[in-house]
Amino acid sequence: MIQEPRLPADRLEAIRAAFRETGATWVQPPVLQPLSLVLDLAGEALRSRLFVLQAAGGEEVCLRPDFTAPVARLHLASGAASGDYAYEGLVFRASEDEAEEVLQIGIERFAPDGDRVAADADLVDLVWRAAFAGGRGDLSLRLGDAGLFPAFVESLGLNGALAARLTRMAARPSRLAAELDRAGGPESDDPSEGVIARRLGALPPEEAAALLEEIWMLSGITPVGGRSAGEIAARLVRRSETARAPSLSPDQADAIRAFLTVRAAPRAALEQLGRLAPKAAGLQARLADWARRLDRIEAASAGSAAATFDAAPRGDFAYYDGLVVEVLSDALGPDRPLAAGGRYDGLQARLSGGAGGGSALGGMVRPGRAIAETGR
Amino acid sequence: MSDALTLAIPSKGRLKEQVEAWLQDCGLGLSMSGGDRGYRARLQGVDGVQVRLLSAGDIAAALVSGEVHLGVTGEDLLREQGVEAAASALLLRPLGFGRADLVVAAPRSWLDVSTMADLEEVAHERLVRTGRRLRVATKYLVQTREFFARHGVADYRIVESGGATEGAPAAGAADVVVDITTTGATLRANDLKILEDGVILRSEAQLTAGLRADWTPEGMAAAESLLRILEARAAAHASATLIWPGGDKDPILPELETLGAVRRPNGLLAPVGLVARVAARLTAAGRGPVTASRPDFVFETACPPIARLRTALGQS
Repeated sequence: MIQEPRLPADRLEAIRAAFRETGATWVQPPVLQPLSLVLDLAGEALRSRLFVLQAAGGEEVCLRPDFTAPVARLHLASGAASGDYAYEGLVFRASEDEAEEVLQIGIERFAPDGDRVAADADLVDLVWRAAFAGGRGDLSLRLGDAGLFPAFVESLGLNGALAARLTRMAARPSRLAAELDRAGGPESDDPSEGVIARRLGALPPEEAAALLEEIWMLSGITPVGGRSAGEIAARLVRRSETARAPSLSPDQADAIRAFLTVRAAPRAALEQLGRLAPKAAGLQARLADWARRLDRIEAASAGSAAATFDAAPRGDFAYYDGLVVEVLSDALGPDRPLAAGGRYDGLQARLSGGAGGGSALGGMVRPGRAIAETGR
Repeated sequence: MSDALTLAIPSKGRLKEQVEAWLQDCGLGLSMSGGDRGYRARLQGVDGVQVRLLSAGDIAAALVSGEVHLGVTGEDLLREQGVEAAASALLLRPLGFGRADLVVAAPRSWLDVSTMADLEEVAHERLVRTGRRLRVATKYLVQTREFFARHGVADYRIVESGGATEGAPAAGAADVVVDITTTGATLRANDLKILEDGVILRSEAQLTAGLRADWTPEGMAAAESLLRILEARAAAHASATLIWPGGDKDPILPELETLGAVRRPNGLLAPVGLVARVAARLTAAGRGPVTASRPDFVFETACPPIARLRTALGQS
């Protein structure tokens, strides 16, 4: 088992100070988190990296793999409309070749609404300054936006199911590549349930659900699994429509490939992205926001950083839905960021099971990597 | 006990009966050693082999850890040991019994779900709408994760199941299952259907070697004796000998050899499937009477499984 090295107190204090200056409330969320909740948020892919425990007769829990969800739960439980929370503590992820108990210092910020562009820029600057306080001289910023690719796909005018599938696959390059390679291929057949689907599609939802239940009864099927007749009937109709809709054209596939390869200095990247879809209002609005974000970032300490903007969504930040920021070091390479953060407005709604809609973002530094003396 | 080779066979159920019948058929009887509650046995016919009776799941684990040299267990159980299993267990021979498929099964009432791609979409829609993931009941965690990842299904979570996995959806504990089936009847009885591209593995019982076991020269010699008998019996089941007057140096022999038959002192050895064709060719050419009979054993000079085992152990 690899241990994190002892971290020099003065460097740690310098990193901590960056977060302290924000005036955020320091919190200590529980180390033990309900396994079912963590898996619901992160998915089965993370399970192999979790440390899972079970008290006699109790529910399964795991050691927290990050702070974002635990702090968001604390915030939700407080009932407060807004809050800034700073934290410092260990997170736990099983690993063959890296430390499994990792110190993180970070912040999570919740607000009912407000200037998201300004909040994003402030977060980028805070994360940058905190990482910089570790004393390294080889740092750079990598910026991105998890909402850009969905906005771009929307501008292509694809059928809903195909657009949704491409968006889902964006963070899984091999799946997406396979999907793009199929472009221009033969149309898929209308599934065998097409006749039923067309009949269901002609009915109002309630009658469609009733007809499906009748079909089950006639075929001797007892419904099991957690989906209602209405839900299944609606998707049968959608699936049949999708099967009859045109698939991705080679030109559209090329456009998507071009989008995903944009990786350049931020201003240049925004310009390239804008040229790919000049008439796409949703995308252009997001790009305009980015121009304002960059104005603010450049006016702050982070403005001195070498920065790139990467249009391709990254798979390891499943709940980010807007800004994504990472601080990289030349020595550690592109896969081992020493600080990371982003916007996750959608997470609160998922945690509370209801409507969220507020602004939520956060970022953290891994001092073990950020501190010049220990981060190798 | 100073036996050089340990062979693990299933200790209960239908698989135990099938393995015993197979060994019996090869002329290898088992004699249970007394006082040990029947969990150890001697193999009659090959020296230096200790037989241990374990559950099929334990055999898979014992093969991977190198606790036993040889074992009979299901391929599904071996794969469930994880990726290292591939490196530390060597499949020597499929045995033709213990057949079972590991499959993904969804409710029959889900008329809109017939493929893994449908499942991926439904799982994602569930997550977006409710914040909850599709629940998959299984005890085959390793293979489920690998298969779902290969099909791009990410928005699910596994509900570990101890037994009666197929009942989990009806009980409200899961939405879909990954389980073993032979005919699909149990799944159907629980209102589940196998997805079109949902077969994860077509499994059967396999004679398997544990590569991490301590392979002494004596152990290897015992394994070779055993495997030669097993292979000879399997080869015998797959072939028949044909003899006819003058068959030792008949000019028609080269033609029949091109069909796949092999020359023997007084005739031919032919794959079972070719016997009728070869016999018809002979009688049409005026040879006869042709007697076809099944050999008890066919011992070849080469023994491919042993050669593969030596190679895998770096002994060749």
